[in-house]
This record gives sequence, structure tokens and C-alpha cells, in this order.
Amino acid sequence: MTETTDLRAKQPRFRGLEAGHRACQGCGEALAARLVTEAAGPDVILTNATGCLEVFSTAWPQSAWRVPWLHSLFENSAAIASGVEAALKAQGRRTKVIAQGGDGGTFDIGFQALSGMLERMHNVLYVCYDNEAYMNTGIQRSSSTPHAAMTTTSPPGKARMGKRHMKKDLLSIIAAHHIPYAASASVAYPQDLRRKVRRAMEIDGPTFLLVHSPCPLGWGHDGTLTIEVARLAVQTGLFPLVELERGEVASVMPLRRPVPVAEYLQRQTRFRHLFADGDHRAREEREHLQALADYNIERYGLMGDGDDPFDSEGADTIRRGGPART
Amino acid sequence: MLEALEGSQAIARAVALCRPQVVAAYPITPQTHIVENISKLVADGRLDTQLVSVESEFSAASVVLGAAAAGSRAYTASSSQGILLMAEVLYNIAGLRLPMVLTCANRALGAPINIWNDHQDSMAVRDSGWIQLHCADNQEAVDTTIQAFRISEATDLPVMVCMDGFVLTHTLETIEMPDHKVVDKFLPPFKFARALDPRNPISLGTLVGPEYFSEIRHAQHKAMTDALETIVEVDRLWEKASGRACGGLFTVEGPADAKVGVLAMGSVVSTFREAMAELPSRKKAKLINLRAFRPFPAAALMAACEGLTDIVVVDRALSPGWGGILGGEVKAVLADMKKPPRVHNVALGLGGRDVPLEAWTAVVAEAKEPAGFRILDLEPAKLEPSDL
Amino acid sequence: MPVTMTKGAFAKAGTSLAFKTGTWRSARPVHVHAAAPCHRACPAGEDQQAWLARMQEGRPREAWESLVAANPLPAVTGRVCPHPCESACNRGKLDAPIAIHALERWLGDEAIRNGWTYPIPTGQPRKERVAVVGAGPAGLSAAYHLVRRHYNVVLFDSMPEAGGLLRSAIPPTRLPRDVLDKELSRLLALGIEFRPRTALGRDVSLDELRNEFDAVFLGVGAGKSRHWDVDGAVPADLHEGLHLLKEWLQVGALPMPKAVAIHGGGNTAVDLARVMKRAGVPEVHLITASGLPGPDTEPDDVLNVVPREFEQAVEEGVKFYPHRTINRLIMRGSKVVGVEMVRLKKLPGANGRKTRVAFEGTETVLHVDMVVPAIGEVVDPAGVEALLHGKDYFPADRFGRLDGQAGIFVGGDARAWVKGYPNGTVTAAVGDGRRAAEAIDAFLSGRAPVEEERPPIPYEALNLAYYEPSTRIELPTLALERRNDSDEIEGGPTAAQAAAEADRCFSCGNCLACDNCWTLCPDNAVIKTVETASDGSHYVFDLEYCKGCGLCAHECPCGFIAMEAEAE
Ligand SMILES: Cc1cc2nc3c(=O)[nH]c(=O)nc-3n(C[C@H](O)[C@H](O)[C@H](O)COP(=O)(O)OP(=O)(O)OC[C@H]3O[C@@H](n4cnc5c(N)ncnc54)[C@H](O)[C@@H]3O)c2cc1C
Ligand SMILES: Cc1ncc(C[n+]2csc(CCOP(=O)(O)OP(=O)(O)O)c2C)c(N)n1
Ligand code: SF4
Ligand code: SF4
Ligand code: SF4
Ligand code: SF4
Ligand SMILES: [Mg+2]
Repeated sequence: MTETTDLRAKQPRFRGLEAGHRACQGCGEALAARLVTEAAGPDVILTNATGCLEVFSTAWPQSAWRVPWLHSLFENSAAIASGVEAALKAQGRRTKVIAQGGDGGTFDIGFQALSGMLERMHNVLYVCYDNEAYMNTGIQRSSSTPHAAMTTTSPPGKARMGKRHMKKDLLSIIAAHHIPYAASASVAYPQDLRRKVRRAMEIDGPTFLLVHSPCPLGWGHDGTLTIEVARLAVQTGLFPLVELERGEVASVMPLRRPVPVAEYLQRQTRFRHLFADGDHRAREEREHLQALADYNIERYGLMGDGDDPFDSEGADTIRRGGPART
Repeated sequence: MLEALEGSQAIARAVALCRPQVVAAYPITPQTHIVENISKLVADGRLDTQLVSVESEFSAASVVLGAAAAGSRAYTASSSQGILLMAEVLYNIAGLRLPMVLTCANRALGAPINIWNDHQDSMAVRDSGWIQLHCADNQEAVDTTIQAFRISEATDLPVMVCMDGFVLTHTLETIEMPDHKVVDKFLPPFKFARALDPRNPISLGTLVGPEYFSEIRHAQHKAMTDALETIVEVDRLWEKASGRACGGLFTVEGPADAKVGVLAMGSVVSTFREAMAELPSRKKAKLINLRAFRPFPAAALMAACEGLTDIVVVDRALSPGWGGILGGEVKAVLADMKKPPRVHNVALGLGGRDVPLEAWTAVVAEAKEPAGFRILDLEPAKLEPSDL
Repeated sequence: MPVTMTKGAFAKAGTSLAFKTGTWRSARPVHVHAAAPCHRACPAGEDQQAWLARMQEGRPREAWESLVAANPLPAVTGRVCPHPCESACNRGKLDAPIAIHALERWLGDEAIRNGWTYPIPTGQPRKERVAVVGAGPAGLSAAYHLVRRHYNVVLFDSMPEAGGLLRSAIPPTRLPRDVLDKELSRLLALGIEFRPRTALGRDVSLDELRNEFDAVFLGVGAGKSRHWDVDGAVPADLHEGLHLLKEWLQVGALPMPKAVAIHGGGNTAVDLARVMKRAGVPEVHLITASGLPGPDTEPDDVLNVVPREFEQAVEEGVKFYPHRTINRLIMRGSKVVGVEMVRLKKLPGANGRKTRVAFEGTETVLHVDMVVPAIGEVVDPAGVEALLHGKDYFPADRFGRLDGQAGIFVGGDARAWVKGYPNGTVTAAVGDGRRAAEAIDAFLSGRAPVEEERPPIPYEALNLAYYEPSTRIELPTLALERRNDSDEIEGGPTAAQAAAEADRCFSCGNCLACDNCWTLCPDNAVIKTVETASDGSHYVFDLEYCKGCGLCAHECPCGFIAMEAEAE
């Protein structure tokens, strides 16, 4: 029993994911999961797809979870959540179910189960921690990996410049399910993230949250920079923060000043080959990524008109005593 | 009350009597009628359950996994390709030690695609950690289904009730449907100690490394072998409650002094029973009706085979390159006897090939053949010369 | 570890706490408590960051109490200090510095309005007696800080009232006398024995003071004008600037030439120029060797007044002649009829030191009928010859200690320039008094004096993503046509303005309880406490679990967290 044990017990916020988990230093996914559980509160049941989060949080006989938690497989988080939810309904319990998965478990292998869960209108919040590759198995590309990014299965070389295909537009597919609420969020904007979780928690029905969660190991940046990198993803337009109600764009986080994508790319070794001297393809792919960001900005109407307290620069500001906007 | 019911309908009714809180299933022949009947019961308000019509067997199994973990009595049913699509989840359910019941309407596995009965599907998941109970007829299937919930909840092991597709599921039989009150008394509401509950938040489905994995597996194996006793006990209790037993782990039928035994599982047992009764027999043989395939009743079986010179094991599935799966297991078990009988192994009725009464004679006659494996009802004339 | 919970390998909530990830760490986060640049730049030694923090918390009285722990005269300095703190303010690199002087003034005025009293730390009364000579800002500050340390203080001044140049020279349009009176009377009421009209060297000697007191502080200012001539020529009716100002303040008399050339680049020159201009002198020319405030002027070459004084002077019609000196007086008889100016600049010479170089061929003539030198003052040696050794100022160190004169301390305008501790301002005098009080206390307690040495936190150490751009408050100034010789020209902020302005402060180097570290640590290794932790913040690092990722340090807006390598 140390001094901190005692203080830890008196933390003013409930935290669903406890210390002692084995995520890498600066892991965005660990942070994202904690923020989600923090906003959700203790009256929840979580499910989890196989992936880093599951592995680093529950090395038996220990667990970092402070809320009931169930892991089964890589591809069935949404389906076991459906089952938990059905059971709760049968028992007349009102506890909310949150299904969690990585981008691999969500965009790819668990995609069908997710679609089924949404279609059946289960009262489940599905949270995808998007770190844009299969990290747990050592950084392989997923359908969420951004175009041109290097992974161990999309290495750059003479014939290829990293991943050939585009990042899957999952949110649009989710939108097509016509569910009450879906949104994207980022660990760089914890207030916004928590607000979105709370919004989803209030809804009786399926909701979806895509949380951009940098992986220092897989993206090749120092753990120190996790938030900065996540922030730049939003500020460049590469990862737009949007909210969809019944599939329609209901709000976006406007960009005050779009940051050039190079600012974002430069900080990560997964894009290192895009800065190779004398390789004309490098420039081309950089421009391509810039064009993709510009496309997002146009498509979602991300350009703000004037300073907005909730835009990409205002939303994370602080004042004495806490965040400036909550 | 006696009723003439199709097997699937009877199973649906039996399931309803057990008051499952969550049912999830995906249609596949020959399981379809079970799901349809349950859906109808729900639609008619005769079964109050959360019926989750999933988008795949994979999700069906996942849903019942989640439901059981959340403390609900859960039920699913499948067949063949569906069982294989569930396979990953089935291992998981068992590893998580979640109680629930699954009806496997046994069917062949493709390719070639074939919708008729054999045991290849349940055999494919025999190592998943599920209790597997086979039924010789629909009355047994009804009674076993009810027992299965009780066994499962007593052992924290999932139970697969195997009944032959079409032969049982689609056949009209006269069934004694137990009374609601009897079942309610026999099967009290499900209470799950490890249920997901914010008031006692545990983590289920953790990562176990090499330093503990063997111990976890050992615990699971021990629970399975301990379940042999539970299966017998539950059958006895059901007999007390309903007046009907299903034969515990297995039954031995026929002349006690016979030196030849025939071991079989599923609906062929009913065919053989009828043949024993009706065909004029030149040779005496006992019939061993194996009900509990998993856990495997090794010791009891050895005792039952005392005095046999030959045993013919009838397989409804086959492990290509090896032979009969059940045969191989029986042979391995009996090898530990002081004077083991010779083990003959035949497969028959694959992919729904008809097993007529006469098959009994051929099976018993197999005892005179050299030990080994063959497909008994093979028709060589249909083979290409190179396959001969 | 006994194998339990084997049924399905379930685990109990939060048991990962048994796994101490702190062992992974190669660097640990620490709270650095770096000094804010404003604090380090403040000659009086105020910790603006600290009192702005109290302002941000909506506790102005505590802000004022924190402020007066260093500077007892905020209503004065908030008006007259050239605020080097604002020049150093990190916020200046983002948009505009915090208007520290305006907030200081607001707090000073609030204290007067509400009758707040100085908080005096508790402590044992000291029996030692200290003589403080000179009741200007240096002496007042020394006396105040000695009283805070519970010494017996006797304050001497040759003048009938306390205040030094604050009272005798600074125009009331910049420092209203009722403000001065109220601030000083509160100070003097602290239990200081004030002996006015008592001049050292005339009414009391240094030796007497040495005998009667355990220590002596000399805050006598620089009361004697520097000698001025142009190649030996001096106008017959020469009046030097400070004298004119003092006379105007005391008796209201001011000469009324048609055109005057004032020579000098400090407060005296500018104040006099403005007073004369506002009094109706048609042409007021100010000739200074310095440059004018502006982005291209080097800091050591700029007019030695607050930029807004210069701007107001221009507004009022004073003509400035920067980088110039008077080359020749054009006389008719003993009367001046004009001056010849030449351009010059301070340039590094062969030895690297800057000297003034006049540029031949740039001579011009100004027609004036009066020339007033205002090039500075030196210590009046009367009574202190033994300590001055013929020098202009006392050669004291930054603590005011005079070599070989144990028990004698000097501060304010009277001390010679010490590197890093420029004087010549009110706040510098206040700072000198505060440091001297520490030195006197140390001397009387037989220890070495100590002073804040923390380096200021640079702009680059802040994380600016967390601050919104915002505009600095604009203060009201009296319209040109309404300016006279008594009404204060510049107004103070409203309470709402003050609060908004304080909110702009970054809290450089010091925790502002933004929760970022607590919110963003992926390992829950930052714990928030209800009670303040030992270091005054509300956050504790749980080193049992901290993996040392450095994320908290990077996302701390104000640079309060640094990563320190772990010992191998
Ligand atoms: C016109 C003018 C405008 C100024 N404007 C500003 C401004 O805007 N901002 C700013 O920061 N600074 C300004 N200054 C400078 C500032 O006033 C001085 O730097 C400051 O007052 C120095 O304080 P001090 O206590 O060292 O000396 P002083 O203020 O000169 O006080 C010295 C005191 O010692 C007394 N004294 C002297 N000799 C004796 C003796 N022998 N015995 C007893 N008592 C004695 C004097 O009567 C006087 O009260 C200005 C100066 C002038 C002249
Ligand atoms: C059916 C199946 N296929 C493959 C795997 C191996 N596997 C485990 S986790 C994982 C990747 C997880 O990626 P993602 O969902 O993005 O989560 P992350 O680890 O990146 O957080 C893979 C491929 C598996 N466990 N199950
Ligand atoms: S590999 Fe990436 S996602 Fe996985 S624990 Fe490490 S930082 Fe987190
Ligand atoms: S921003 Fe605040 S703390 Fe930082 S230098 Fe300016 S006044 Fe001082
Ligand atoms: S963010 Fe947490 S783990 Fe990382 S250095 Fe700070 S306290 Fe340690
Ligand atoms: S991040 Fe915020 S709360 Fe944490 S130390 Fe820095 S200023 Fe204080
Ligand atoms: Mg991933």
C-alpha cells in the first residue's frame, strides 16, 4: 500500500481501464479505451475483439478492466455484444453494452457481424479503435490503412509505394445502415470524444464510434507524439471528425486552418518513403494524400468560416481548472 | 400426453419447455424446421425469448456465447456447414466454460455438397470441448434436450444434442411431451456465477500464456470427465421426474451371452433395434447404443465389453486416410482391456444413404471378417476403375 | 501464484495493478516549477504567473496578496513601470503580451478601494534595528520587507513626505497623488517609524546610524544633476530638467520659452517635454542620442521610457530628434538662440564596447530660445563621501552589499549598475529594497543571502495547441483636448476586462490544472488529488505504473512537466 494506492482509490472520475495494462508506451488505443469507458461510466458491459487492446489488458490472471468485459474472437465482438444485449433484455436489465474492436476486427474480419448487429438494431454502442493496421500481429495492412502507408504487408519498394488501395470509407457504410447515430472521434480531442460517447450512450439502439488512435509502434512515431499526430490527422483533413444521425451528416468539427498533410506524414516512419530524395513517386503520393485530404474537406464541408470554439483549434483548448469547452 | 410430432417440431417444443432466454439461429437444412418452429412459438406468444435472427451461424454461436456470459439460458441449433462456420466459436464457448445447448441436426459435410444425414459435422468439432449426446429416436431427442440444459448448467460445459438430420428431424413420431410443471421443477431458472455484471465486474476471455495454459486445459478436461457422472445422474433424475430414461452414457441391449457386440450411435440404433426384434437371426449379437460420445465413457465401455470376442463399430463419418472416427476411438479404449475383443470398423449411411433393416445382418456378419475398416454399403459398381 | 479462477480463465476487476509497468521506464516525468519569463524579467521580483493564476481562479484578493509579497506598491508600479515583464511575456510571441501592468494597477486600485491589508507572514519578532535612509521606492521597499521579517525599522528622509521621486518628479497625470498617498500610508502604517525632514549628513551622521542600528540601508537616490556643457559653453540661465519638474510640482512655476530644446532620453526629458507642451510652450524639441521605440531599434539603444509615454508625447506635439546630440550652442551674447545638432549612433568600437560615433556632415540647426539638459543625476555625496570615494554611485552588488562595509546596504538609483540588475526605475528600486532586506536578514542571521535562480521557461517549451488566440485589452486614455496638468491620462481596466486579460495568461512553467496530463496518460499513471500535492499541484505521478512515454510532458500546455532520465 503506497501513498498513490490510496489516492488512486479516490480519483474523481471513474476509469474503466486500470493501470498495469501492457500497452506500449504512449499507446493511443489504451488511451482511447480509457476515455470511452470514462465517459460511459460503470454501468456497462464491454465486449472486445481480439487485438492489441484485448491482449494488453487481460494477461491472466490479471485484468485491467473495471467493468464487466468479454472477449471471444477476432471477428465476433459485435455478435457477442448482440448476445449480451439480448440477454440483458431478456433479464430486464438496462445496462448498456459497448462492443469494441480494432480496425481489423471492424473494417475487415468482423465487418459482417457488425453489419448484422446494426441491422438488427441492438442497443449496443460499437467502438472501433482505428489504428489503421493489424497491430497485434505486427503491423499488417488492413482496409483501414491509409493509402501509401507502409506496413509489413504493404512494404514500399521498386514496384510499390506502400499500400496501394484507399482507406475504406467505413463511416459511409455504417451510414447506409440508417442507424440513429454514428460518429468519428480522435484521442486528440478528448472532450469531443467523451461527448460523443455520452450521446451514443443515451440512444436506445445501435450506435457507432470510430476513434482515431495512433499506434506509436505501427506508425513509427515517438510515444510522446501520440496526441500531436492524432491532432494533425484531424487538422489536415485526413481524419475528419463528423457526426451522422440516421446516416445524414449532422455536424462536423470545422478546420480553422487546414494544415498541409506533409506536417502529419513527416512525423511518422510509415510514410518515410514519401520523403525519399529523388523519387518522383514520393512527391506524387504526397500530393495524392493531400488531394485525399482536400477531398474530405470538400465532401464534408470541413472549412470553417472564422474562429469557432469547437473547431479543430478551439475544441481542445484549456483554461485554468480544466478544458475550456466541455 | 402423446402427440404425433415431426422431430423438429418436437425439439422446438422441448426447447420451449426449457424457457431459454435467448435463442439465436441461422437456417440450414435439415435444422431449418427447428428454427422455424421456434420462431412460430415465439410469434404465437408460446415462448417468451429473445429470438435473434442472425446473419450467419458464426454470429448465432457468438450471440449465444454473449447471452450465456451475460447469465441467460441460451440455445442454438445448426447442421453441417453451419456447425463448421461456428467451429471457432464452439471452441470458444467451451473454453470459456459457458453453459448452453445446441442441437446438431447431423448432416454430411461438403464438398461434394450433400444435405442428407451422417455424422461428419459433429465429428468435425468433437475436440471443441462440447459434451456430445447422440439420440436414437425423437423421444430420446426431446428428453435429452431437456436433460442437456440441466447437465450444462451443472457442469458449466456446453452440450450438443446430436440428432440425425431428416431421419429424425423430419420424421413424424409419437412423442410423449413432458408437462410444463415437470420441466420447470426439473430445470430451475438459470443462475450463472460468472455472469457479466457491473456489480461484480469480471473479465471473461483473457489471454493465458504458456505459464498457465496447461492448467486451464487440465481443468477443462477434468470437468469433461467428471461430467460422465453428471450425465448418468441427470438421466436418473429425469427418469424420476418423467418416467423415462435415455440410457445414461450408453445402453447394452440384446442377448447377455452374445460374444459379438455392435456399437453404434444415433438413428441407426433404432433401425438395429427393430432388426434385432424382427429379423430371424442366425448369430447372437449385443447392441451397444453409445449416447455420450463426449465425454467418452472409456472405463464403463471396457467393463461392458468384458467377454466379447468381437465388436463391430458402426461409424456414420470417416476421417479420410484413417478410417472410422468412432471405431478408432473404441479400439484405442478397448486396447487397455486384459482380453480385448477384436475391433471391426464399418462406415455406413454416409451422406444419407439408406440404412435398411438388413444392414444389421451385414454388420453382425462383419465380426467374421478380419479386423479393420471399410465402408460397408459401398457399391463398387459405381466406382471408376481407378478408384477400386 | 496459485492457480485459481481456472474456470474459463476469468479475471477479477482491476487486478492488473499487480503488474507494475513502472519498471519499463527509462525516463520519468517530473513537475519542473520553471520560472515564468514575466517573473524573471520583473525587477521587483513579482511572480506574475502566480498572481495571474489567482486572478484566473477569480480570487483577486489572493492575487494581490501574492503580488505584494514582492512589491508593496502595485498601484504605483502598475502606472509607471516600463514593464519589462510584458516584453518578456511568452504570449507576446503568439499574439500580444498579457497587459500585466494594467492588471497590476487594477489589483493595486482594488486593494485601495477595498482597504485590503498587507498579509504579514507570522514569525518571531526580531530585536535588531535597521535604519533605512531615503523614503523613495527603494527605501520603502526595504523597510516593508524588513517589517515582513519582523525587524524594527526606522525610515529617514530629508523631505517632509515619503515617496522620493514618485512624489517630487513624476507628474500626477501619470501617477495621481491620491493613489500614491493611499498606497504609501498603508505601507507606513505597518509599524515603520518614519522620521521625515531628517537628512543624513545634516541631521544625522553615518556613524551615528552605525552605532544606533544593527544595519543601515541607503536608498538616497541620485539627487544631484550630472554636469552638462557643450564644449565648455553653458547658457547663462541654465536650468536642468529635473529641477524644473520638481519646481513645477512644488510651486507650479514653469518657464515659457517660444521654443525649447530638451536634451536627454529618459523619463525626465519626456515628462518635462510633455508638461511644457501641455502648458503651452509652442515648440518643444527633444534631442536624444537614443533611438525611438520601434521594431528595428535595439533594446539597448531605445528611448528609456515606456513606449506609450513616447506615443502620447508625439500625440501631444513634442518633436523628437533621435540619434542626435547637441554639437554646438548658438548664442547671442549669453542667450541661446539655437542649437546645432549632429547625427550619431552607438556603435561597437575596436574593443567591442559600444561608443557614440558622430557623423560629420549631418549637422542641422534648430532655432530655440531655451536649452534644458536632462541627461541624468548622480548621488549627492553630502554625508556619504566616505562610502562613495568620489564615484557617481555606490559600487554595491545585487544584494546592495558594499565591499568592506559590513552592515551597510545600498539600493535604488543610488547604486552603480550591476550586470543583469539595471536600475533607474521604480520597480528596480523596489527589487533592490527586497533583495537588500534579504541580505540584511542574512547578515543579521549569519547566513548567505539567497535569491530565485530558476531559468525562465522558453516559448518553445509550451504546447500552443491548447491556447486560443485572443486580443489584448485596450485601456482608455484621456482625449488630447482634455489633457491637463493634473488629471490622469491613462485609465485602468474594468473588472471584467481584468478578468478576461488574466485568462489570457499561459501560466508559463506552472501547472494550471488543465487536467491534460490526467486525461491523456494512457497508463492512468497521473493521479488527480483533491488536496494539493506536496508540490502545490493537484497531480501526482504514479511511478509504479508510469511507463515514461513522455506524452504528458508533451501535452502539458505550460511546460510544467519534463522528462528526466532514470538512473541506470
Ligand atoms: C521625472 C521622472 C520620471 C520618472 N518616471 C519613471 C517612470 O515612469 N517609471 C519608473 O520606473 N521610473 C521613473 N523614474 C525613475 C524613478 O523615479 C527612480 O528610479 C526611483 O524613484 C528611484 O528610487 P530611489 O528610492 O532609489 O530614489 P528616489 O526616488 O530618488 O528616492 C530617494 C529618497 O531619498 C531621500 N534622500 C536623498 N538624500 C537623502 C539624505 N541625505 N538624507 C535623507 N534622505 C535623503 C530623498 O528625499 C528621496 O525621498 C522617473 C524619474 C524621474 C526623475
Ligand atoms: C480468425 C483470426 N484471424 C487472425 C487472427 C490474428 N489476429 C489477431 S489480432 C489481429 C489483428 C488485430 O488488428 P486490429 O483489429 O486492427 O486491432 P489492433 O491490434 O490493431 O488494435 C489478427 C490478424 C485471429 N486472432 N483470428
Ligand atoms: S502495438 Fe500499437 S496499438 Fe498495440 S499496444 Fe502497442 S501502441 Fe498500442
Ligand atoms: S503568459 Fe503569463 S506566465 Fe507567461 S510570461 Fe506572460 S504573463 Fe508570464
Ligand atoms: S503520460 Fe503517463 S506513462 Fe507517459 S510519461 Fe506521463 S505519466 Fe508516465
Ligand atoms: S498538463 Fe495541465 S494539469 Fe498537467 S501539469 Fe500540465 S498544466 Fe498541470
Ligand atoms: Mg488496428
